[in-house]
Amino acid sequence: MKRILIVDDSFYMRTMLKNMLTDAGYEVVGEAPNGQTALELAKETNPDLITLDVILPDNTGLDVLKGIKKDQPDMKVIIVSAVGQEVIVNEAMEYGALSYIVKPFSEEKVLEVVSKALQD
Amino acid sequence: MKSREQEYKEIFIAEALEYFDSLNRHISELEKQPQDDRILAEIFRLLHNLKANAKAIGYLQISDVSHKLETAFSLIRNKELSFSDEVVTVLFDGIDMLGELITNVDSPIPVEPDPVLLRNLDIIVDSLSDSTIELAKVQKYTTTKNLSLSDLIYIQIKKLDHMLNLVGELIIDRDRIISLSRELNNDDLKVVSSHLYRITEELQYSVMDARLVNIGTLFNKFPRIVRDIASAERKDINLEIQGQDIQIDRNILQIITDSLLHLVRNAITHGIEMPEQREKAKKSRAGSILLSARNDRDNVVIKLKDDGRGIDLKKVKKTAVKNKLVAADVAEDLPDSEVLSFLFEPGFSTADEVTEYSGRGVGLDVVKNAIDSIGGRLQVDSKLGVGTTFTMQLPTSIAVKGALLFEVDTIFYAIPLLHTEQVIALDKDELHEVGDVMVADLKGETVTVVYLHELLNADEATINFGDKTRLKGQVQNIVVVSYNNRKLGLIVDKLYRQQDIVVKPLSKPLDKVDLYGGVTLLGSGKVCLVLDVPAITRYFIQKR
Amino acid sequence: MAKQKTEETAATPKESTPVIDTPAPLQNGAKPNDQGKPQEPAVKEENVHLIVFKLGEEHYAIKIEQVKEVTITPSITRMPRTPDFVQGVANIRGDIIAIVDLEKRFGIRPAPVTEGLNPNVTYTLVIEAKEYSIGIVVKEVPQSLNLAMSKIDKTPSFLQDTNIKDNYIEGIAKVDSKLIIVLDMFRILSSDEIKQLTGK
Repeated sequence: MKRILIVDDSFYMRTMLKNMLTDAGYEVVGEAPNGQTALELAKETNPDLITLDVILPDNTGLDVLKGIKKDQPDMKVIIVSAVGQEVIVNEAMEYGALSYIVKPFSEEKVLEVVSKALQD
Repeated sequence: MKSREQEYKEIFIAEALEYFDSLNRHISELEKQPQDDRILAEIFRLLHNLKANAKAIGYLQISDVSHKLETAFSLIRNKELSFSDEVVTVLFDGIDMLGELITNVDSPIPVEPDPVLLRNLDIIVDSLSDSTIELAKVQKYTTTKNLSLSDLIYIQIKKLDHMLNLVGELIIDRDRIISLSRELNNDDLKVVSSHLYRITEELQYSVMDARLVNIGTLFNKFPRIVRDIASAERKDINLEIQGQDIQIDRNILQIITDSLLHLVRNAITHGIEMPEQREKAKKSRAGSILLSARNDRDNVVIKLKDDGRGIDLKKVKKTAVKNKLVAADVAEDLPDSEVLSFLFEPGFSTADEVTEYSGRGVGLDVVKNAIDSIGGRLQVDSKLGVGTTFTMQLPTSIAVKGALLFEVDTIFYAIPLLHTEQVIALDKDELHEVGDVMVADLKGETVTVVYLHELLNADEATINFGDKTRLKGQVQNIVVVSYNNRKLGLIVDKLYRQQDIVVKPLSKPLDKVDLYGGVTLLGSGKVCLVLDVPAITRYFIQKR
Repeated sequence: MAKQKTEETAATPKESTPVIDTPAPLQNGAKPNDQGKPQEPAVKEENVHLIVFKLGEEHYAIKIEQVKEVTITPSITRMPRTPDFVQGVANIRGDIIAIVDLEKRFGIRPAPVTEGLNPNVTYTLVIEAKEYSIGIVVKEVPQSLNLAMSKIDKTPSFLQDTNIKDNYIEGIAKVDSKLIIVLDMFRILSSDEIKQLTGK
């Protein structure tokens, strides 16, 4: 079972993502509501994939991405962002994010992006 | 059943209201420190989440207003819009609007965002602080702002526990006063005490009512759990849930949570067969599990029914004999219900394999103990190849129980009605000495009968349950109790009435004496011992 | 419900005084009836206030801090299938507590019935431990006694020979010709042995 860490500051979003992913047979190993927790959980759980919201209360998603990549350069990270943040998304891709999902997302889209990322 | 949509909606609203409160706080701070980037970033984040969440769940008005506000704040952040008084007013109005929309998400009359306000928002966003365009005054939200507090409060269960205990004490004193007023035969006192009776009764039910929760709060966790276990076990399961709106005391629900989870795990792992096996047995590939709740008089009955392989009684008998719970020859003739009751013996398990979700060293005895501890009953019925049904009979409320009062050797006792099957008076001649016990025929069913005085007071060395000569009088009052699919008739000296009693737990160090479930005070001020039927049954079996 | 405390005895009675009016039955828990003449305590001398009672032929005592109240024993409901030192349970001001007989508990031979003592009236010392209360039944009226700490011998050597485990005993006091065994009720209550009444 592939293990996924969800990073999002909204409980609603985390719940939706978690349900979508677990329904599809993934194991959600952790949920981080902020950057600090995200960095800790990434190390602690060493998941197969991280979904990362770009706007977090304590850091920007980009800082978290850089932090993760510093210690775990091979970690697969998918950016979750809203419309209008293309600039950040592009930057994130440069820092090594594999792909991105735009909110509001559909279940199909999430699963497609996730399964593709995990195959690579 | 509470759908996932319903759950999402509740989460959305709760989170949105939280965001709304934070937005209000932050914008007030911002008014004082317009240059504070941290506050701006936080407001931006909150609006951003609100927008995304609202869009995801389909509350487009909320996402639209949030989007406009978000845009406004990003302009302020980029210093493209100044945080002037006029702008501040519009932003405050906008946030109020959001609050209005969020709180009315469920309202039958949809709230429309004020068009004037929307226009104002558009103006400040589009005109880039071009002050030539007049901002229209928004009436509604600035002048009729009303502070509304939620109609719901959260309360710690501890506080409700305390209230219930106090009500229990009050009821005991009330009964004492009523009995005194009868003794004194004073009319005024009688009037007051009957009024006191009604008020305390109402108070008792109000407090009990405040502790009730929908069984759905537990049941609705199961679709997900069943799905996870089933997928780990590679089984197909259809789960049906009924009676989520049945209400039960929150603490009782808490106590049975693990038990129910355990039974559901068992049903999936050991009950339901693999899809291929089911096809061979001419069953549908997908197994079905029914989790239901219903009211039965003052009790709640929870049933868990599966259409799996059922329990193999032969295997149970074999294990029971192997574990020396019963002699091989006796086992042959045992009725099915008694065979099934072996399943609740400590450490009894017929499962050969321990899997991730079942086993875990926890047996059905633990489930049984949990149900016993709250004065409930657990029964199992099973048919090989057809399926298994577990039935839990639970009290709706913990503290007050209907009980039967009686006397043995001048001591008052009570047995909760949940454990009593019937009360019957039999002539001594209708009791028969069979082996070392007495039995009676109750409507065609042979039931073991025990003289409670012998069980409780005889010297343990010379205890004799089969000696009719030890009985007093000709007519015997028998309280038939039932535990673990096993009926037992208890002969009592004097039978009194049925009564609601408040069971007080025994204080230390007596709390470990397991024959007694607690004590209660009668109206006369006398102490009445509440017998624990499971423990009495065990004690009888042990001494037989 | 006000719980009357025995500690209200403020002064220092020179001689032991009954803590309960006798033989008239009491309505409620009695507080110690302080009849002793107040007296200045000796300088620097630390005093200890004891409730003295008889078990068998001997005098025993409990520090007053450990005694919640002394009352005429209320009606006791026997609890079948508990050890015989448990007399049963009684309703003391709405609390239902266990009543124990320390003579039976420690195997002390009961004293012959004293002339002029009503055998139907006994007294209960309600001991309050951290988590619960327990009642101890005694036949004669308990007495209140103030004593200099130094009068208590903490390490008498004969203790190994008694039935009462030595750590239940705080010490032995000698007052005039009387020997008073001072018990530590908290130790008795918290000991595993009293918990054995769980064992059935």
